[in-house]
Formats: sequence, C-alpha cells, structure tokens
Amino acid sequence: MADKYAKIGDYTAAEAMVINAARFLKNFDCQKGLIGTGLPLVATQLAKLLYSPNMIIFVETGQADAKPEELPISIMDSRLTYGSSWQMGDPEGLFPLSRGEIDFGFIGGAQIDKYGNVNSTFIGGDYNKPAKRLAGTAGAVDIGVFAKTTVTLMAHQKRRVVEKVDYLTTPGWMVKKWPSGEMVRREEMGMQGGPNAFISTLGIMKYDEDSRIMYVDKIFPGVTPDDIKNSTGFDIDVSRASENEQLLLEEIKILREKIDPLNVYGMR
Amino acid sequence: MQKYFFDKHKSNKENKLVSLKEAISTINDGDVLFLGSFVDTRRPMAAAYEIVRQAKKGLILLAECSLAEDILVGNGCAIAWRGCYTGMATFGLSPATLRKIEKREFFPDEIGHIDIILGSMAAMVGSPFVATSATLGSDVVNEEYSRNEYLKNAAGNPEMIPHQKFVLMEDPFYGKGTIKLQPAMPADVAIIHVQQAGEKGTARIFGSLGFDHYFVHGARRVILTAEQVLPEEYLRRDPNRNQIPCTAVDMVVEVPWGGHPSQVQNFYDIDIPFIKEYVSSAKTEDGFASWIEEWVINLDCRDKYLDKLGAGRIQGLRTLPPYGYRQRFR
Repeated sequence: MADKYAKIGDYTAAEAMVINAARFLKNFDCQKGLIGTGLPLVATQLAKLLYSPNMIIFVETGQADAKPEELPISIMDSRLTYGSSWQMGDPEGLFPLSRGEIDFGFIGGAQIDKYGNVNSTFIGGDYNKPAKRLAGTAGAVDIGVFAKTTVTLMAHQKRRVVEKVDYLTTPGWMVKKWPSGEMVRREEMGMQGGPNAFISTLGIMKYDEDSRIMYVDKIFPGVTPDDIKNSTGFDIDVSRASENEQLLLEEIKILREKIDPLNVYGMR
Repeated sequence: MQKYFFDKHKSNKENKLVSLKEAISTINDGDVLFLGSFVDTRRPMAAAYEIVRQAKKGLILLAECSLAEDILVGNGCAIAWRGCYTGMATFGLSPATLRKIEKREFFPDEIGHIDIILGSMAAMVGSPFVATSATLGSDVVNEEYSRNEYLKNAAGNPEMIPHQKFVLMEDPFYGKGTIKLQPAMPADVAIIHVQQAGEKGTARIFGSLGFDHYFVHGARRVILTAEQVLPEEYLRRDPNRNQIPCTAVDMVVEVPWGGHPSQVQNFYDIDIPFIKEYVSSAKTEDGFASWIEEWVINLDCRDKYLDKLGAGRIQGLRTLPPYGYRQRFR
C-alpha cells in the first residue's frame, strides 16, 4: 500500500496546506460555511469533492448553497452563481452571518497571533504609514465577529505567526474592547464562538480550552517540532503534537488535474 | 433642517441615453464616487478609463480599491477611500493603491464589508445611521485609525461624509451589550455596469448584484453603463427579473465590452492574462504610466480598445450557456 502515499518532495508546501485543510473540513460536513477568497476557496472545492460533499457553501457575494463545478477565481466569479439555490448580492450573502446562522468561516490572512486574531490590513509601521499595506478587512472581520467558529489558512513563517498582530482584522479569542483597546476574552464582548484551528504549511494548530493560546495539534510529514518552533514568533507548545497522515497521491492528482489544472492559484 | 442627504428627484425623461464622455463629464472633482459590483466582476472599466482621460481629481472612493478603482488611484484621480478591500483576488493586491498608500499619497479609511452594506442600506432607506455589532473587537473601531476628519475636509460636498466614523453605545432595546452606530454612506455618483438596460434606465443584472441594488438608491446621481441597451418595453415584460428601477437612474450609456477585463456573466469571462499584465506593470510608477498610455490615453473610445485587443482574443472570452462563464475545458 506504500504507493498510495505521496513522498516528501512530490508536492509543494501550499499543496500540503490546502489538502490538509480539505481533510480538516470533514469536521464541517453538513454545516454552513462562509468561505473567504484565495486558497480557502480551493480547499473547499477539494473538500466538497473528497471529504465533505454535504457542506453548505456561502460566500459574501450572495449565493446560497453554492455548488461550483469549476474552481472560482474570486468570490465574485459566476462559477459560484451557476447551480446555486439563490443568487442575490453582498447584503444577502453577509446577513446570514450577522444573523448568527453561519457555522464556520474559512479565511486566509497575512498574520496570526497566539489567540487566533488575524491581520489582513497592514504589516509594519502604522495604519497611517504602513510598511506594507495588505488587502484589507473585506469579509474577514465579519467572519471573525459573527461565525460560530473560524478556520484560518496561512503560510507558516516567523513574521506571520506572532505574539501580537500589527492590526486586528479578524477577532479571535482575545479581542480589543474599545474605546480603551484593552484585550478581553471574546465572550466578554458577547461574541459567540471563536477560532477552531489554524492550518499552516507546517501543521494544524488548535487553541487551549482554558488559556485560549495556540498549540500544535498535528505536524505534517517531513516537518519536525523544531521546524514549527523556529517558524513561530512566540514560544509555541508542541508537546501535544502528533504526526498527520501523509498526503495521498490521489489527493494531489485531483488537486492538480481537477481542481486547479491551470494553476490559477499558483500553488505549484 | 434638510432631512435627506440630497434631493432624490430623478429625471423622468423617457430616454436617458448619453455618450460615455457626456456621462463622465458630470462628475465633479472631489465627488464621493461608488463604482459598482465587486473585485473582478461586472466592473465599470470603460467608465474608469474615461475618468482617467478626463483627468478628474480629488475623488473619494467608496467600498473597495480593486480592479477599476486601482486605475483611478494610480492616475491620481482619487485622494482617499473608505471601504474594506484593496486586493484583486487571485491576482494579488491592488498595485497602484498599495504604492500610493505606502507613499502617503492616498489615504485609506478601513471599515468592514457589513459596514459598507449597512451604510449603503441606511442611505437607501433614508436613515442617518443603523446599529450593528459588526467589527467590534477589531481595529476597525480604533479611533486612532479613523480618517473621518480627512475625508470630510477632502470631500467636495462635505455633507456626504458623517461627523464621526462610528459611535459605540449600549444596546438600549434588547440589552445585547455594546453596539456600533454605523452612519449612512451616501455618494455623489454611482456608476454601475450592467448586462442590460432600457433607454429609460430599467436594468437587469446577471450574477451577483454586489450591493448595486442598494447603492443606486443612496447616490445623488446614478450612471449605468450597459453591455446592451434594449427596448425599455422588453425589460418591462418581466419586471421581477430587473434589479434597478428606472426611477433610480439618471443616465444610461451603451458600452459593449465595457467591463473588460473583468468578468460579465452571460457575456464574457475574465481576461486573466490582461489583469496579470496590469498588476505587474502597475507595481511601479513608470510601468503604470506606460500601461495607462497604451490602454487608456491612446485609445479614446471603446471601439479602438476592442480593435487593439483583437477579435481573436475577445472571441476566446465569450461565455456559453448554460453556465454564464467560459468553461476552462470544453
């Protein structure tokens, strides 16, 4: 049976991240997900095919129960329209979220902190003079506030996985209470849910039940606990980590040939 | 005291067809401008190019700085933006917008996606604000990052900008804790690209409506650019399929392929190489300038633009039923 598994080097880090994310979405079969733009769309498309065929897809541009036959390029792509139960606009796409109906949100980002707060607005400097401006809040802030839980997908690098985000776009477990800006637990703000997992290019991180601090739950094959520690900007707990099952050749084949044959998403 | 944001009396002309030049000439420097739809789909690209050719200045953009807006920002037509997105989906971040923000030549003011919807909804229903718990816990409600004052000073018509970006208060009705009052987000001008419009302004959209069906009611002037102008009477045979009423519209412009390189469902798919080329060119000031010269300044009408694209290229973008997009493998 050895040949059903892919070897390290047969796939890229981005592909490992997306395939592991698709597997992880098994946990959300039959649930309602609001999917963000970028690689979350790719992982969702793969998951629908392989692991969670009954997942109900919403995106913020107003489809209900989208069933795209081809991988959408963006959340506005008409590939999401064809086959949907309903096609309206952004209000109708986001109001299920603000009504509290969305079971999970699935987003990317540029920076994540140990409480699962995500930044997709700027890195370095100040909002008024950023070293690097990013894509902005988009729906990511709304998903963090309103979804029952969130899954974040992002490359694992020291400058991305940090103690504290430069700008808090998507609220995680510890959020800012204004006008003072002090950090409080999200429950204190009356916000439901909280982040479920951070899936990176190196492993799957979960959040401690009590402290709500991120720890390593699964490590991808070929990655060591030290690799994760060295790529994380805070002292991350790796003591609970176990190794994830290797990628299947079949998963890589489907991702490359059926999901993104033109490599629109530049995963390879 | 004027209770409304502006006089909502729209023209009741039977025929609102004008040229693109004429429609865009009604935009004033300093106007608060909303360009319809979202990201890379059904964007009013021909209108954005014409704004560049007419060298408008000091515009304040609402909602996003994506494919269409980035061209205005790069060309120095826009000074600030209030919205939620400065990216181009799979094609990366909006190159000119990023460059200008980092050089402090263009000023962002971040709100959330739901904030935009609620702001346009408030303008649509004629209410000065609505209440929401959107963005609580995030830096969107960090007063230090608010550029409200700047926007108000920069706006040609300061009445389009609220006195404050938001107000936090305790929910007085259901005791649900802290909530945010989100002000209405009216606009001087909204430009919406649609698939079909009648000569009086009734319009039919295919695919996501974005928030166009809200925004047309919250803008002082509404310009439609349309792939096809059809007899108004034809669209009125099935009014349930129309999303924009003629009563909300001031001007209609026929611009076939007016959304290229974005995607227009049931007409043409997204032009991926074109957008990739723009994104890489616009990363530098010089690259942007030569792109604008080549594709906007040197081609003063859509026909010349289409000739330059070439029949083969545009034929390869045509969508097919039943999908409304062009299948990657056929």
